[in-house]
Amino acid sequence: MPEIPSKDDPRTTFRYPLRWRIMDALNNGLDRFWPARMSPYTGWALIMPALLLVGLLVLGLFEMAESSLHTLDRATFLPSEAYTLENYQTVIESATYGRVVTRSVFAAGLTVFFTLLLALPYAYIMVRTTSSVVRKTLLVVLFLPFFIGQVVRAYGLLIILGTTGVANNALGLVGIEPIRLLFNFPAVVFGLVQYMLPFAVLMLAPALTAIPRETETAASSLGANWLQSFRHVVIPMAKPGLIGAGLVVGTLALTDFAMPAMLGGGSQDFIANAIYDQFFRTADQGLGAALALLLVVLGSVIVGVVISIFGAGTLGMGGKK
Amino acid sequence: MTNQIAAQNSATQSPREVAVRASHVTMDFGGVLAVNDASFELEKGRFLTILGPSGSGKTTLLRMIAGFQKQTAGEITINGKPVDAAPPHRRSIGMVFQKLALFPHMTAAENVAFPLKMRRFNPRQIAGRVDQFLDLVKLGGYGNRRINELSGGQQQRVAIARALVFEPDLLLLDEPLAALDVKLREEMQLEFRRIQHELGVTTINVTHDQREALVVSDNIIVMDGGRIQQQAEPVELYRAPENPFVAGFLGLSSFVEGTATADGNMQVGDLVVQGEPADDFAAGTKVLAAIRAEQIRLAGTREALGNCDMKLEGRVSDTIFEGERQMYVVEVGALSGATFRVYHHDPDSFGLFHVGDTVALGWNRRDLKIFSPAA
Ligand SMILES: Nc1ncnc2c1ncn2[C@@H]1O[C@H](COP(=O)(O)OP(=O)(O)OP(=O)(O)O)[C@@H](O)[C@H]1O
Ligand SMILES: [Mg+2]
Repeated sequence: MPEIPSKDDPRTTFRYPLRWRIMDALNNGLDRFWPARMSPYTGWALIMPALLLVGLLVLGLFEMAESSLHTLDRATFLPSEAYTLENYQTVIESATYGRVVTRSVFAAGLTVFFTLLLALPYAYIMVRTTSSVVRKTLLVVLFLPFFIGQVVRAYGLLIILGTTGVANNALGLVGIEPIRLLFNFPAVVFGLVQYMLPFAVLMLAPALTAIPRETETAASSLGANWLQSFRHVVIPMAKPGLIGAGLVVGTLALTDFAMPAMLGGGSQDFIANAIYDQFFRTADQGLGAALALLLVVLGSVIVGVVISIFGAGTLGMGGKK
Repeated sequence: MTNQIAAQNSATQSPREVAVRASHVTMDFGGVLAVNDASFELEKGRFLTILGPSGSGKTTLLRMIAGFQKQTAGEITINGKPVDAAPPHRRSIGMVFQKLALFPHMTAAENVAFPLKMRRFNPRQIAGRVDQFLDLVKLGGYGNRRINELSGGQQQRVAIARALVFEPDLLLLDEPLAALDVKLREEMQLEFRRIQHELGVTTINVTHDQREALVVSDNIIVMDGGRIQQQAEPVELYRAPENPFVAGFLGLSSFVEGTATADGNMQVGDLVVQGEPADDFAAGTKVLAAIRAEQIRLAGTREALGNCDMKLEGRVSDTIFEGERQMYVVEVGALSGATFRVYHHDPDSFGLFHVGDTVALGWNRRDLKIFSPAA
């Protein structure tokens, strides 16, 4: 056996590399600046910036709430002095806003459904494939739209779905007259699904990776065919991922602005579009703020209900069932 | 309750009927021969263990038998039909996986009911059957527990019940006990044996634990490097290993090298060592002899050894206390310094010998096996 020199043997001493010295110096400096007895507070110190940001948001919300309690004086174009709930009354009594809210919620629901329906097989194949070429291709295809951005993508859809676009050209080949594919509700949902798909796949992939391959092999050895194994094993075990992805997709869709604006052509407004109009077109801050708060409440209630039904644990946050 | 099943099974079972047959099965993972030309037969209702060190191809062989992987050459039939004649979910094979692969979102009873639902059992009989099999694995009353509310051994039992509840033709076990502690493992080994006897289901078990193989099996296959080294019943396998690998893998053996003599013994230097040839080999060829630690007798003097075919002197070079017995490492000068590991468990003589002591070794001719060295 070769002799191993002891630690103090002169043969084992050597010059410290510069990088080690720098790291050591930094460590020493840090020790002085943030002594060990402060370590219980390290966690708090690290989340301080995030807390500040969230705090800022809450502050904004309060401001918003305050301004929602003043109506716009049409004569002076200034907010009224007195506090009033009139803005909320306007929103609640308006049939237009009722339609906008219903449309937003309905579209968000449809988007969640279709997005998950498409994302689940996509993520499943991406996770389970044995070919690294397939996996990489699927990943690249997934990430490409991220680099393009929502507005450009919506514009691309405008071109593709337009009366002289690829879609209608293809229909023309089989002898179907050009039809209006744009500026209607399905177009907006289509655009939203297309936009949300990458988010959903990226959220589902880890959930599916966490399901051992052997569990599925077991299901098939126990008599489950492919569909049954998916239904009884994969989907229930991927439930946290599905709910998480559903919540993200749902809230993003509910609050979306660009798709209804561009693919809806003004006829398919969501709540965000209505808010935009009040803030930047009519300059009715109060009404805009009331609508905005309504959106916040609506979103929170939906998320709250989903979490209370399925438990925070299903989001992978370690909560109890 | 389970007796009914046992009775059914033993009635349908005529003796010596072959359940599983593998002929010249090879699995080539792009140059790595995980399983190399394996052939064996397993009779209906028997318990076979595939034993071998890590990486010897046990799991690969089992997965091919289950039909989860297609062999690159050879054929595997179950009850006369090729395994892959039907898709996995139509085969009648129950499997317990190394990591159990229980369904965490279901209760123990739901796990056991799963194969019954998938296999279209009469829904009115499912609950009764689930209870019956939970009782069989001694988990009566635990049906409503979730999987993560059960201990390791209990989860093990759920996995067994789940694999057996649909009365498969064949039960496959891939080292399901490897993760358990020794006591629980030994308990579960006996449990396997009991359940297998009760149901009479043909079983193939994979393990690298030689004790488990000897305890539970009717028949053992020893694998190494993808090849089947020997297939035999436990006692025969232990008593009559066919090659040095098997001799070394089961029990604790000491090896001595030498040359073959004309009468089938072995010569080391001037000394002729009496032994039992395990193969045919020509005089003068190099051979390897093996003897088990418990088959060597140890005493202070040759006279004290009593009746032995072979007696030698050696020097104690190490003593190891193993609790129920003492192990001595003895160096024998006459065999050009070969070392022997010897178990000694005479209750009166614990610690009798010390490092440096001269001792006498003895054994009987039939206990020393002589092999031609690894082909
Ligand atoms: N999918 C695979 N691709 C390439 N080589 C593989 C594959 N699966 C197994 N092998 C190789 O085949 C050999 C046998 O593997 P196998 O899993 O059958 O061993 P084992 O006997 O079950 O070992 P263990 O006791 O550690 O589970 C190993 O050398 C392994 O590296
Ligand atoms: Mg293995």
